[in-house]
Order: sequence, then structure tokens, then C-alpha cells
Amino acid sequence: MLEAGLCRYVLISYGHNELSSDSLFTMLTEFSGDDVVFGHFGATGGYALAARRAMHEYRTGPQTWKHIAVGQRAWANLNPRAVMHGRPMSFDDYLSSQYVVEPLRLPDNCLVNDGGRAVVVTTLERARDLRHPPAVILGLGQHNPSAQAAQSGALAGSTGAKKAGEQALSMAGVTRDDIDACQIYDCFTYTVEVTLQDYGFFGPGEGEDWFSGGTIGPGGRMPVNTSGGQLSEAYYMGLTPLSEAAMQIMGRCGERQLGPATKTKEPNIILVSDNGGILQAHSCCILGRI
Amino acid sequence: MNREKTCAIVGVGYTPQGKVPGRTSLSFHLEACTNAVADAGLSKDDIDGLICYRHFPAASNENDLTPHLVAQHLGIEPNYLSQDAN
Repeated sequence: MLEAGLCRYVLISYGHNELSSDSLFTMLTEFSGDDVVFGHFGATGGYALAARRAMHEYRTGPQTWKHIAVGQRAWANLNPRAVMHGRPMSFDDYLSSQYVVEPLRLPDNCLVNDGGRAVVVTTLERARDLRHPPAVILGLGQHNPSAQAAQSGALAGSTGAKKAGEQALSMAGVTRDDIDACQIYDCFTYTVEVTLQDYGFFGPGEGEDWFSGGTIGPGGRMPVNTSGGQLSEAYYMGLTPLSEAAMQIMGRCGERQLGPATKTKEPNIILVSDNGGILQAHSCCILGRI
Repeated sequence: MNREKTCAIVGVGYTPQGKVPGRTSLSFHLEACTNAVADAGLSKDDIDGLICYRHFPAASNENDLTPHLVAQHLGIEPNYLSQDAN
């Protein structure tokens, strides 16, 4: 719309009183069909199925996901706005927490919170006249590999992240090695693993080794979800990762700012993902500095 | 690539978050949008496109949340309104 000149400044918005209203309860009561009769319903159930399938096909599980939950929590503790700020989590805390749907524990699940988030998008030409350094959209990709979880062959990968990532990197004219940080849609820890895996950061079953040693946390070699993400900051669908990527590119993240402040690479290029359904729809966006 | 045709994010809007009782979903949209516009150094009259994320079912005491409703309460009439699925 912007490129075609039909719009000049576009708002993208999300808001939900998810924690304080009866909205989610209403959704639960509306689930119906054969799956529900046999006790399978909701996002946690769907992603637990996907995560279990991955555990069957290659080496993954809580020993991999603990690094994601704990790494993101460390970022949240540098972000005063994060819902989980001031609530540090150790590997032991993670491994002793309760299951929601096996194999997913409570800290494998994104938060349920009240709040909203919005961003403004315009052309780079107009952006130059505005007050913040622009977070430039260098590349975009989208791939939607299945319509229904029950018919999906993508639960353990390859998800839509594979083709969407290739498209976005190609459009941006960069390679995976140029990526300084990632903001990954993290409805569940497993989503982060399979998404990074499908982007090619590591092979199936190599996630535990790749994540080990604080790879994604403050001071890590590939920071992921630097606000705390949906697991530890707040849930706004794709706007949690997208808004954080923009703020990091703009250099406005204070204590959690990528670069010298957190002993990480300068965020010149950040990869952002969004994902819908049970790993059924995927978008990838590469943001960069001018 | 023609970088001048490229687009960029120029403003981000936050709201209180966590447990914030007594608020409608619409009110969070409005506050986030208002803050994002101000953050970019723009005024609401500059906004001519509005995309609302897909959303969960409305609370039982609220209207279904459409981009039109958000635009109406922001007091804008964008050329383009959309509710995106992803």
C-alpha cells in the first residue's frame, strides 16, 4: 500500500484484555468436534503434539527448551516493562515447574497478559524526516505449509520458516551469517527451536548443543527475544518480536540494548518471525539500519 | 533493490501490561496506536492505513473488535483498513 502510494503512514495494532476478561474462557467453551471429545484442544495441546513429534524424530525436549526459557527470562530481567521482570529463573526452576500439556511445562508457554502494542510504518523517504532512526524493512517472506494441524506434515519441521526465511534473506540481499540477533515468535519454547532450525541456524537434533552455554541470552553470540519475548515480556502476537526488533535497531532499549551494553553484536540486521495456527502459517521479516 | 521505495518502522507504541483490570481490548488498541503515532512524531491525521492483528474472541461484555471500530474511536478515516491473519 505504501509502495503503491495508496497510503503514507500505516498503523499496525494489537490489543487484548486477555488476562482480566472472560475472552479466553469464551474461546475454550467454543471448542468442539471429535478432537475435543477425546480431550485434545487449544494451542498448548497442538504445540505439545508438535513438540512430542519432534522428540520422536530427533534429539530434543526439555533439556533443549530450558535454554530458551531461561535465556529469554534473563533478557526480561533487563527490561523493566517485562511482565516477568524481577522473577529470575534457573534451569532447576524450569525443570521442576508443572506441566500444562506434556511435554510442555508452564514456562514453555507464552504469557497471558492485558495490554496492547502498535507500530507505525512508512516509506524510507518519509522516515528520514522523522525523529527516530528508521528500522528499515530489508526483506520479507511468507510460507503457509498446511491448513490444519491434523493434516500437517510440518509439525517437526520443515515449517513455513524454511521457505519464508530463504525468501526474506534473498530479498534483503544478506545471508544468515549477517544476522546479528533474532526476534522469534515464541508462543512456546519449541516454536523458537523449530523456527531457528528451519532458518538453518542448526540441524535437526543439534538444538541442545547450539543453545547451550548462553547462546541466546545477554552476552550470547546470537541474542534471541531480547525483550523477554512472549514467554517473559508480554504477548502481542507478531508485534512482540517486531516492535522489539525495531526498538533495538533504533538503539532505544536501555539496559538490554544490543551492542556494548550487553556484550553482544551491534544490531545492524535483525531477523524477525511470526507464526500462526499450529505452525501452519509463517512470516519472516529482516529489519536493518540504513 | 531500490532502497527509497523500501519501508521502515518509525514509531512504537506501548501500554501498561500484565494484570491491568477494568480495561477493554479496544482501549489497549487506542492507547498503543496513540502512543505509536506520537512516538513517530506524527499526528493522527497523518495516518491513512490501519491494520489490526487478528484477535481472540471478544469478552462477553464487549463488541467484536474490528479495524473499523478502532479507526472510529481514534477519530480517523484511513484509506485502507485490514484485519490480518498473521
